[in-house]
Amino acid sequence: MPETATIETLQQRIALYEDMNAYKELYYQLFDGLHRFSFSIVRSKEVAEEIVSDVFIKIWQIRARLGEIGNLKVYVYTITKNFSLNYLQRTYKNAPVSIEEVEVEVGIEMRNPEELFISSEIMQTIRQAIMQLPPQCRLVFQLVKEDGLKYKEAAEVLNISALTVRNQLAIAIRKLGETLPAPVQKLIPSAKLFSAS
Amino acid sequence: MTEERFWSLLSARLANEATPEELAELETYLKENPAAQSRTGAIENIWSVNPSISDDYKEAAFNKHLQRMSNHFSEPVLQYESDLPEEQVELKVAKKKPVFRIMAWITAAAAVAVLGYFTYCYFPFTSAKNSNALAQNTVSTKRGSKSKIQLPDGTQVWLNADSKITYNENFQGKIREVQLSGEAFFDVVHDEERPFVIHTSVIDVKVLGTAFNVRSYADEKNTETSLIRGSVEITLRNNPDKKIVLKPNDKLIVDNDEAKAETASPDVVRMPHHDRPSLLTLGKVNFKENQTTALETLWIKNTLAFDKESLEEIALKIERWYDVKVSIPDTRIRRTEYSGVFEDEDLEQVMEALRISGNFHYDINKKEITIRP
Repeated sequence: MPETATIETLQQRIALYEDMNAYKELYYQLFDGLHRFSFSIVRSKEVAEEIVSDVFIKIWQIRARLGEIGNLKVYVYTITKNFSLNYLQRTYKNAPVSIEEVEVEVGIEMRNPEELFISSEIMQTIRQAIMQLPPQCRLVFQLVKEDGLKYKEAAEVLNISALTVRNQLAIAIRKLGETLPAPVQKLIPSAKLFSAS
Repeated sequence: MTEERFWSLLSARLANEATPEELAELETYLKENPAAQSRTGAIENIWSVNPSISDDYKEAAFNKHLQRMSNHFSEPVLQYESDLPEEQVELKVAKKKPVFRIMAWITAAAAVAVLGYFTYCYFPFTSAKNSNALAQNTVSTKRGSKSKIQLPDGTQVWLNADSKITYNENFQGKIREVQLSGEAFFDVVHDEERPFVIHTSVIDVKVLGTAFNVRSYADEKNTETSLIRGSVEITLRNNPDKKIVLKPNDKLIVDNDEAKAETASPDVVRMPHHDRPSLLTLGKVNFKENQTTALETLWIKNTLAFDKESLEEIALKIERWYDVKVSIPDTRIRRTEYSGVFEDEDLEQVMEALRISGNFHYDINKKEITIRP
């Protein structure tokens, strides 16, 4: 996977050379996913942003040992999860202590739906379909689809089995497929239809 | 195929997690079911759409992050300051407070040590800004004294004895350049937009990352660059095509005579010869047992260190360190090697320690020392 290789390269550059360019690039690469993931738990964009910042402060603090981390992506998602849960515990009474108890909020956001040949109504439909998914299912969908995590990686982050990830994703995709209105296929240019997954 | 199986296979394919067997199974099924085929296409399209936050937003978030991090790491990493004799500071340049920048926090992390001794007092800048008649600042130290200055970008420089540093007054160019004659320790403010380059007689050292030493005694055979951590890029002044990037704990030794004989012209092929010392040798930085500071940077802590150095080499160090003259009339004892670490010790203590281990005699007459067998 080229993306993972890039993260590994950045990881090494930070560890060996304290390379600020690599650090910034890593931030840019991971910000979306981590912010979204944290937001799902804390439900505040501002708080999620601070949590991502805390995660990257942590990365800088341990930069010398960064090379020893086998899968940095799993590592940062895991600490993002922990920091987010910690935040909930600090802030609210009876806060959930594990991710299974969190009423996650997953918003799928599109920067520019027009560009993507998808009408806003369809986007709305997709969004609703996803919102109706059970929390864990939504998180799996988000981590695997949006953030490109492997089954195993998402499993490790969420503390569930890879098989559960696979099953949860199948449920999400099925729900999505079933809610998708028939006309959508006409709105999508054929070239896009069969683009490689 | 059950519905459940279909969705499981499809989602596995989307996630790039399907086995070849599963892919084949799905393909076969899709060929037989055109309805499923078109539905699959639609889902694939949705799958390929990825939400993304705009770069502007990320940029703003990253800057905010650096600000938070700056507050977080307010403690400097390097605390050499207290170890240095501040009363010896003799400055002709006004200390300017560095303009506060978001990246300023990196100052602490980006420490660069440079040691160097040079014959030439002036090395022209290699950059295109040569002709600029900009006012230059020069700070120099006498033998036996040390000094500390702050460059306009906030970079701190400790100058060892008998040394000189020159830089453009405004220090605003695309490259932050300094010329060094003598020995210095640099604590460079990290600025990826404006690299920091130290010009020496034989090599140029470009700071890519953080901490390193250059030792370039004009009266020694070699110029040594020892990387403590971070990254530096070294180019030979006479052949800029030769670039060497060091990794932490690497030490590059450049033979001064060979480097001066080096040419950038590709027509001249210099045959390797067994009599000729090699131009470049890559070794390791020297850490003594129980020492966290590399031997190469001990001077900054007011510690004079020798490591398997000949009496001749040690004499040179002592001359600069104590502002004395050392003579060894008997050539036979010049080659004897000694090791030792002297923290804050005076000349007599050092000489006495050497005498005991070296079985020689010495006289101190004011500023002149004579060593005899």
